Amino acid sequence: MFCKPAFAASTALALLFAAPAFAEGRPAALIISQSGLGDQSYNDLAYAGFERALASTGIEGRTVESKEVVAQADEILRRASDAGFGLILDLEFAHGEPIAAVAKDYPDINYVILNQVVPGDNIASVVFREEEGSYLAGVLAAQMTTLPGVEGINEQPILGVIGGTKSAGIDKFIVGFIEGAMSVNPDIDVKVGYSNNFADPAVGMQMANAMYDDGADIVYHIAGGTGIGVIEAAKERGAFAIGVDTDQDGLAPGHVLTSMVKRGDVAVERIVADYAGDKFPKGQTISLGLAEDGVGLSPMEHTKDIIPADVMAKVDAARAGILDGSIKVWDVLSQGAPDYLK
Amino acid sequence: MKSLQAALTILFPIAIVLLIGAAALLAAGHDPVAVYADLMTEAFGGTRRIAASLSAATPLIFTGLAAAVAFRVGVFTVGAEGSLYVGALMAAWLGFTLTGLNGWLLAPLCLLAGTVAGTLWMLPPGLMKARLGIDEIVTTLMLNFIAIGLTTWLVNGPLLAPGAANSSTPQVVETARLTRLMPPSTLTTGFLIALALLFAYAFWQRRRVGGYETLIGGLAPRFAGASGIDMPGLMLRMLLLSGAIAGLGGALQVLGPIGRFVAGFSTGYGFTGIAVAILARGNPFGILIGAVLFGGLSTAGATIQLFSDVPIEIVNILQGLIMIFAVADFGLRGWFARRAGRQAANGGATP
Repeated sequence: MFCKPAFAASTALALLFAAPAFAEGRPAALIISQSGLGDQSYNDLAYAGFERALASTGIEGRTVESKEVVAQADEILRRASDAGFGLILDLEFAHGEPIAAVAKDYPDINYVILNQVVPGDNIASVVFREEEGSYLAGVLAAQMTTLPGVEGINEQPILGVIGGTKSAGIDKFIVGFIEGAMSVNPDIDVKVGYSNNFADPAVGMQMANAMYDDGADIVYHIAGGTGIGVIEAAKERGAFAIGVDTDQDGLAPGHVLTSMVKRGDVAVERIVADYAGDKFPKGQTISLGLAEDGVGLSPMEHTKDIIPADVMAKVDAARAGILDGSIKVWDVLSQGAPDYLK
Repeated sequence: MKSLQAALTILFPIAIVLLIGAAALLAAGHDPVAVYADLMTEAFGGTRRIAASLSAATPLIFTGLAAAVAFRVGVFTVGAEGSLYVGALMAAWLGFTLTGLNGWLLAPLCLLAGTVAGTLWMLPPGLMKARLGIDEIVTTLMLNFIAIGLTTWLVNGPLLAPGAANSSTPQVVETARLTRLMPPSTLTTGFLIALALLFAYAFWQRRRVGGYETLIGGLAPRFAGASGIDMPGLMLRMLLLSGAIAGLGGALQVLGPIGRFVAGFSTGYGFTGIAVAILARGNPFGILIGAVLFGGLSTAGATIQLFSDVPIEIVNILQGLIMIFAVADFGLRGWFARRAGRQAANGGATP
């Protein structure tokens, strides 16, 4: 009794929505990853880039957020594909295989997957060279950790790094950081820990405090929400943390030395613009590093006054070295874990 | 008659929820009729959408049934979530390890392992309840956290897929994956197994001795004990059965739509299952309706965003409201009882 007119009405509604979109370039869909919008990190950043791109290109766009995003991968991707979307961007990590399978059935639709490489003629994969930005963070931290006269810094050459999980995707950051630190001081001690959790600030705080107790004064986190606890610990102890993904310097002004920013927004914005301009990178892997402004250090608004010019000069030199290819940073994804992290 | 009663006890709270939801939608500046129409289309408009809803309902049938069998003897378990997790991980582990096995052998083996894991997971709280009278709500709830923590740790370390960017195991062997009933939809034979279990439960509860024992045990435990029914043993058995069903549900989710164990793959299926069981008052037909309702709402809530600006939060609010109203009785049962009494008085003639 309720169904029939409902179907009719909604079909009419769907047509209404679809009509203007078809007029100029088919609409784009952005599928949010499991952690959802409001994570102040990965999803929010990509979403911001998506919104900017829609505004500048005039392409219509929709965002799909669902707690069922993992189990309903195929259903959501196929629904979007059937509904006339021309570009489907997927932020979910567990969608690698589903997107490969769905993309095969819709050769005239463009798919984008982040953080992994999925082969396919109509799929573009976006990966970040997080090791490059982390290397710079390591160069900076290794110099600062023994700098006399800075409040919260001791004389021991000890740093810390906390990863959310032991995986290649996270070890990429960690190895980059260690390599950068060792380029400054080969004898530096970098303590590595894994929180096995991306959403528990209490755990992050505990782990960071343990590292500070052991003589570390700067702790880099790659642990999402767990990392908020690391920054909190740095603030309480008067020590330093290094943020990740977004510019987290403002979370504890003066106690976040810098943040290794990963510009998911830049990636999404660029892809939508390419799509709008009929230049979608079909079947390509887009690798974003320092050169593409895909990763990098934050502007260090709150800490630049305590960082001496010669320290900054070394960071800039390392950056130049990576850009001109004279410095090659170890990439865990393609090279595997180095001996010291096995 | 029984089915009609089950349907009405479920649909009445939903009608109230729709009214409250409409008020919320209006307040947020949306047209409730259009939104509900869209939700209907996305949940049941066409075979593909129906398949998607049934696929989303499948794990909820298992957790709903898992809750119902325990509630029947008065054991208020909230442990289906934990059993689901260990069952899923066990199935995934065998599924990507025993790659040499034939799929016809491997799939049943994975399902069996998941079922056994889910069962064993309920053994400690079952024993504690039966032997020591320790409250099962607390123990099963705590075991959920342990199950989630343990599986998450395992897929972060020993069972982590090489090169994976998130916490997940490698994919299970393709031949062990369940057959899709309506490809490309992810509706698999797991749904048929769910239906078969519901039928088995319906038959058992009405026709078998165990069904009677559990009914009496749940309604009047002291009377049941005095009549010679071994209540502690009965509670233990039903809690183990509950774990077995939930573990099987988790294993099917891995061999079905997901194809691997992913940390946090469950959106709280175990807890939604409790709402399904209460909404259904333990009736098998009601469990099916409740699961399809929540499944449809969840899949429609995802894809409706492709066509309208309704935020996902509104769908979550609807789900939450249904859960709240699920526990209210609204006196419908009394109404049915009186009606049945009147009919009997009239010699069975419909008034």
